[in-house]
Amino acid sequence: MTEEDGRRRFRRNLVRVMAVQVVTLALLGYLQYIFTP
Amino acid sequence: MHALDWVIIVGWLTYIVSHGIRRSTGTKEIEGYFLANRSLPWWAVGLSVMATQLSAVTMVGTTGQGATDGLRFVQFYFGLPLAMVILGVTLVPFLHGARVYTAYEYLERRFNPATRSLTAFLFLVSRGMSCGTIIAAPAVVFSAIFGWNLWWCVSLIGGPAILYTMIGGVQAVTWVDVKQMFLIVGALLAVVITLIVKIPVSPHDAFVVAGQAGRLRVFDFSFNLTNTYTFWSGLIGGTFLMLSYFGTDQSQVQRYLAAKSVDEARSSLLISAYWKIPLQALVLLVGVLVFVFYQYNPAPLLYNPAHERAVVAAQPALYAEMKQRYEASHILIERNAIRAEALDLASRVTHQPAKDVNYIIPRFVIDNLPIGLAGLFIAAVIAAAMNAISGELMSLSTTTVIDFYRRWVQSDIADDRAMVVSRIATVAWGIFACVVATYAVSLGSLIEVVNRFGSFFYGSILGVFLLAMIRRANGIGAFIGLVTGMLTVGAVNFGFPKVAFLWHNVIGAVVVVAVGMVVSLMTPPPAPARAVRR
Repeated sequence: MTEEDGRRRFRRNLVRVMAVQVVTLALLGYLQYIFTP
Repeated sequence: MHALDWVIIVGWLTYIVSHGIRRSTGTKEIEGYFLANRSLPWWAVGLSVMATQLSAVTMVGTTGQGATDGLRFVQFYFGLPLAMVILGVTLVPFLHGARVYTAYEYLERRFNPATRSLTAFLFLVSRGMSCGTIIAAPAVVFSAIFGWNLWWCVSLIGGPAILYTMIGGVQAVTWVDVKQMFLIVGALLAVVITLIVKIPVSPHDAFVVAGQAGRLRVFDFSFNLTNTYTFWSGLIGGTFLMLSYFGTDQSQVQRYLAAKSVDEARSSLLISAYWKIPLQALVLLVGVLVFVFYQYNPAPLLYNPAHERAVVAAQPALYAEMKQRYEASHILIERNAIRAEALDLASRVTHQPAKDVNYIIPRFVIDNLPIGLAGLFIAAVIAAAMNAISGELMSLSTTTVIDFYRRWVQSDIADDRAMVVSRIATVAWGIFACVVATYAVSLGSLIEVVNRFGSFFYGSILGVFLLAMIRRANGIGAFIGLVTGMLTVGAVNFGFPKVAFLWHNVIGAVVVVAVGMVVSLMTPPPAPARAVRR
């Protein structure tokens, strides 16, 4: 794998990481919003 | 516990130790022993990094925290994904390319031997003590629940980990970690499913109950330096802590140094970045669901069986009366007050701290999980402890041999002799950790002291590595900056004890960089060879 391929893969994984965090935090926020008075 | 549970526990331990020992091929030389000949795939390193973090303290302590305090502890990890990304772009390619064995080895090239040795020494002290507390936490719980002698519990947990780590090196540690992660996640999911089945209301109603009791309050956006778990302390303080831990602590650095390439090293960190927060949320959710379970089923008044036995023996009538009131009450505030009375009684009877949050989940597991699943969970707790211990022992041994023995005692040491010294160092640190574990138990609050002790250093050590990236910074600046950073954090800790410890990491890093740069600018610049990064 070339360096450029490696950087591209890193950027792609970076987007996926952030997406997973956003979804997780959104779910946790939803739980708090719906169930916490 | 049923006989089948014990079969599962003994069978798993036997399998995992033999698996670790079989993985010792290719570890005849120190590069193989310490870095697996830099041959590990990214997914194995990533799972191993996560496993080292997921200790028995997480399995029993964090789950217990979920039961008593809810989900807000997850904020502690908000900085982790950000830190992993920053490290992936900066320090990881840098250290991996430098072809070092330890993070501190690099500091001598960049600064001077004094900075390297001081940083390595701080790592050895804090990590050695931490290894002991990782053994102590589950050992105390097992001793109380099963009534076993403490030394036996410490040996059960520490012994197998010392064995396969000593024989197989980082190769054994990594591949055992990978297998154990599947067991741990499987056990957690099994507990969640059991809870959902056993709670007599729908999941929706279970969440309503948890929410009413404040257990689903995740986010706290207040900016309060004295409140440990807020969004800001987790995001800002947590980022600094995670940068320091994953970027400069040898127990983590050694994993990605063992990866096949820079690209694989970065990818391994991203696995942690992906799954840490969801996994921690799962762990805390287990605790929350146990809390809900006990709203519909009789809950122990004291979760620590050893304390309960002592109180029943010393004050049977008083304890029986408290228990009657506890079982008759359905008001949470009232039940919490009766629990506080019972804990105070236990503390007076046993002359030990009575906080029993670490016993909530093990007690639930032993009393309520079906045959086989209880054994699975206990095996997972032992597995989590072993994962953390093995990773720490490996890093302690590496730093001892590379940063001290080879650096100061015998620089031209042959590989076969280095292997002997490495194995002796692994066993010696393992025994040290077991002794610390026993001592930590008898001085209850030592665990808290050790955590605060460690937090003195993390931010300051990170500051040294940040300085390393600034061309003008020199060795004198780094050394004086490091000492000043630690003294400042010490002053904050003792002078302003209410400041949450997560902020110590920010303070330490900032002071080291600031003082280090001032001193560097007042003294001659580093030689061109030292100013160059590699």
